[in-house]
Amino acid sequence: MSPLWATNTCAGLHAAGSRHVVYVPDNPLSHVLGVLRDRHPDVQTTIATREEEAFGIAAGLYLGGKLPTVMLQSSGLGNSINAVTSLLVPYQIPMLILISMRGDAGEWNAAQVPMGRAVEPICHAIGLSTVTVASAEDAAEAVALAGKTAFMTRLPGVCLLPRRVTALAPNVVA
Amino acid sequence: MTRLDATRVLAAALADDPVVASLGHPAYDLFATGDRDTYFYTWGSMGLASSVGLGLAVARPERRVVVLDGDGSLLMNLGSLATIGWVKPKNLVVIVWDNGLYGTTGGQDTATAHGADLEAAARALGIAATATVRMPGELERVMARTRTEGGPWVIVAKVDESQPTVKPPQDCVAIKNRFMTAIGVHRAMGR
Repeated sequence: MSPLWATNTCAGLHAAGSRHVVYVPDNPLSHVLGVLRDRHPDVQTTIATREEEAFGIAAGLYLGGKLPTVMLQSSGLGNSINAVTSLLVPYQIPMLILISMRGDAGEWNAAQVPMGRAVEPICHAIGLSTVTVASAEDAAEAVALAGKTAFMTRLPGVCLLPRRVTALAPNVVA
Repeated sequence: MTRLDATRVLAAALADDPVVASLGHPAYDLFATGDRDTYFYTWGSMGLASSVGLGLAVARPERRVVVLDGDGSLLMNLGSLATIGWVKPKNLVVIVWDNGLYGTTGGQDTATAHGADLEAAARALGIAATATVRMPGELERVMARTRTEGGPWVIVAKVDESQPTVKPPQDCVAIKNRFMTAIGVHRAMGR
């Protein structure tokens, strides 16, 4: 059994047409990876050594005709900014970007807070639109819309997975 | 062998192979040898050429994908070699123009001028098909081998810096669209 938010996140990713996920893992995202493995074997996953590298690999997948997703923890956005601003945005290379949030409501680790607070302002400053998943039930629609909008408009789009959905919500399973 | 000499040898060994060129001098010299629609010139994202090439090689397994990187750029993203060594796309050829310096930024030394060995790094990170070449004929011969012997390949070409005199087109979206059309992706995507 997997958490409902993870099952719905994978359904949304799949509905957006993405069959390639490049990622740097974190704890909540391990649930997403588990659902992909068990329920969506047609989705190919690749682990990168660093978030910036993941964006490069995903850009190559798009150039080759695939609709990629990049998954990362919010802390990794800081490692990714040059890839977003000098490759994805100027070349109009779209992808679905799923960010597992740290440093937002419910955080226990002070070292996660400064970046967590900065994620949305940074995204908007560098040309990334953001959608935030409101609840486990909302995840499928929010993720699918973020992905479809990205691929239709040929611009990268971010979907934020807040901690109160991924880590603090009642452990509803599906 | 200057980088421009080596780029000429390489261009002659290409057919319609897609090429991802790292920003700055590798891209400038590639353009100088004759522009092709199958060339993807990057204008930023230093270090990511081999990563873009990896994604492209996975997406298009029927094409030989060639990456033109620099020693300074690859040093910025060495983890890429570990991922390439794991995924092992047979159709990926990473060429590293190794001049031991940051040529585009004024000629500061890189670590390869002080003992770093990028071919050895590639082997240590799981890439079996590697070579270091110093002469045009050697580069020509190893490029011929990449047609018949599966990769991923990492070919370190020791080159002398040469000052580029021309720059490729600067419209990023036009570069992307031209490239995707040339390798048949836009038709497949119905665009």
